[in-house]
Amino acid sequence: MRRPNPGILTMLPVLVFLLAGFVIPILVVALYSLMPPRTFDLAGSPTFTNYATAFAEGYWRPLMWSALGAAATTLICLVLAWPTARVLAHLAGRWATLVTLLIALPIFISESVRLFGLALFMMPGGGILAGSIDALFGVSIGTILYTRLAALLGLVYIHFPFVLFPLLLGVSLIPKDQVEAARDLGASGWQVFREIEAPLAAPGAAVGALLCFVLSLGANAEMNILGGQAVTVITNAIEQRFNYAQDWPLGAALTVLTVLLTAAVVFPVLKRIDVDRLARR
Amino acid sequence: MRRDLKLRQLAARNPLRGRSSLQLAPTRRQFVAGLAASAGAAMFGCGPAREQGGELALLTWDAYADPRLLDLWRDRTGGSIRYEIHISDPTSVNRLRAGETAVWDFVNLNNPWARKELWPAGLIRDLPRERFEPLYGAMFEKFAPPYYWAMSEDGEHLLGVVQRFETFDFVVNSDVISPGLAKDEGWDLFNNPDFANRYGILAYEDWNVMDICMGAGIDPFGEKTGDDYTAFEATARRWINNARMITTDFAQLNLAVINGEIDAYFTGGTYSITSARLEGVDNLYAITPYRGPAGGKGGINWIELNSAVANPGSGEDVLDFLEWITEPEPAWIVANGNGNLQPVSQMAQPEVLSKFTTEQLAALQWDEFDERIENSVEFDIVPDYDRLYDIYAAAIRARG
Repeated sequence: MRRPNPGILTMLPVLVFLLAGFVIPILVVALYSLMPPRTFDLAGSPTFTNYATAFAEGYWRPLMWSALGAAATTLICLVLAWPTARVLAHLAGRWATLVTLLIALPIFISESVRLFGLALFMMPGGGILAGSIDALFGVSIGTILYTRLAALLGLVYIHFPFVLFPLLLGVSLIPKDQVEAARDLGASGWQVFREIEAPLAAPGAAVGALLCFVLSLGANAEMNILGGQAVTVITNAIEQRFNYAQDWPLGAALTVLTVLLTAAVVFPVLKRIDVDRLARR
Repeated sequence: MRRDLKLRQLAARNPLRGRSSLQLAPTRRQFVAGLAASAGAAMFGCGPAREQGGELALLTWDAYADPRLLDLWRDRTGGSIRYEIHISDPTSVNRLRAGETAVWDFVNLNNPWARKELWPAGLIRDLPRERFEPLYGAMFEKFAPPYYWAMSEDGEHLLGVVQRFETFDFVVNSDVISPGLAKDEGWDLFNNPDFANRYGILAYEDWNVMDICMGAGIDPFGEKTGDDYTAFEATARRWINNARMITTDFAQLNLAVINGEIDAYFTGGTYSITSARLEGVDNLYAITPYRGPAGGKGGINWIELNSAVANPGSGEDVLDFLEWITEPEPAWIVANGNGNLQPVSQMAQPEVLSKFTTEQLAALQWDEFDERIENSVEFDIVPDYDRLYDIYAAAIRARG
């Protein structure tokens, strides 16, 4: 008698979990996106009306704001995380653990609580920043609260650790002797970065960037709490369709479009990343 | 100094309590989780298995999740209660539609949903009239049985028990805008170009649609003409573009009023300000206009109806609960539910009214309560809401 493959058996619980918790709900959402507008069952005649409506009614705009916000957040986080990772990996010594812990700890606090904290900090008049400056120096300052900039700041604040830690892994893969050899051979700082450090740290940077991009694309609390809904992001638009508009099919179509956009970014990058190399660190 | 103290107290409040933005603006993870649950329930025709044996499951606004109410019920009956607080009325209607009738025993929603959506869709069950109609006799006169919103369209079935009710229109800083002027000006206040960027919007979007109708001179609950839609769109775009901020969290708007960033916001009312007023911020003032386009009225009066979900697993205990919450002590707790003070229909009884302190009645602007109700029409489902909402949502998207 042929014995079952132990690999398949080991994988089975996760496979069942992923099927039930991930694949089936996504399929249900995809099916809803093909149902007639403002209907609540899955037995209608399939139609692409909702996709046509999504483009005709300007839903590209929330999708654009989400994509722009996610791209800007990823870029800013990468720029900020690179020097931080280098310092933590090579220069901070015994302080590295403490600093890493300080950056990691806020992740364990609810995102909404942290964003409300930031809102109180930025609030004009009696806010922490404006109030303190007024009390200490007698100077009244304005605020960026309820603007796109405030929302972007919130996105960077929330997602920075998701870029930093994978990048830290990547940076720690850079052998010091290669950097020293390049310097001995007369390479400039830029050349060392371009030829040695960036290629070697790229898998970590790519993983961090992907995590940041995907999470930022689906974020809405930053725009709600800090941005005063200065713009509508795609997750808000989806929520509006499902809730107040009672229009599940259009909400589902917008969800599918967002998933497709995410996949279009994630899969090409994932194909180029050697995750094993990071894991073997 | 006193103002600073109040500001600090407000800032120190746990923003996650009550009907705050965490519930109203769920994070992406919560939203996706909810969506997946609804989708799964729709697919399989049921929700997760419900534990039986003296446990009641409430899908409710915050008042019925007050720990004092839950403890009192446990002391009285030995039964326990679990609950989930609504994100919005339509979201919970969605959830029941998606199969969660197997999960919940009790649902507490604003008045039109039971009569116009839940009962026709078979999502709630009717109550024995001989047992529950006498409860209406102990409420304010306007609820005299048969009360329109508590009955099915055919007038045969009693669909729930009325409890919390109030108007919900707009809020001003009474230090900047006198309440008398605001009531007189009504919704035109937000049409005034000088007022641009001086107000916020509490994004309870179905309410915003009704308010914009009022501002455009349209009865939100009447049939609309082509001109009405044009007027609605122009008003929606102007009001949304002129708003200083839009948020789902009234604590943020109250703080913005206190900070002087804005002088008013809609939609709002005692629901959104009593907590702050109880803490002494009495310049937050609920306004119901003296007049408006809804049959001459400009205010909107919501009435919560408590109903029994058509859950095959529900027993008699949900009926006992529906009756018990109208008793003086539970009714008083509901009025104070989770720190959010609101009037209840049982305040018609001196025994219930006497439980409220002078400060609480002042926070509720109780001296103006009859006037507010008198100047309001009862909340209803808006005809052609879908079209109006799409115009509103397009205006929101066009804001940035």
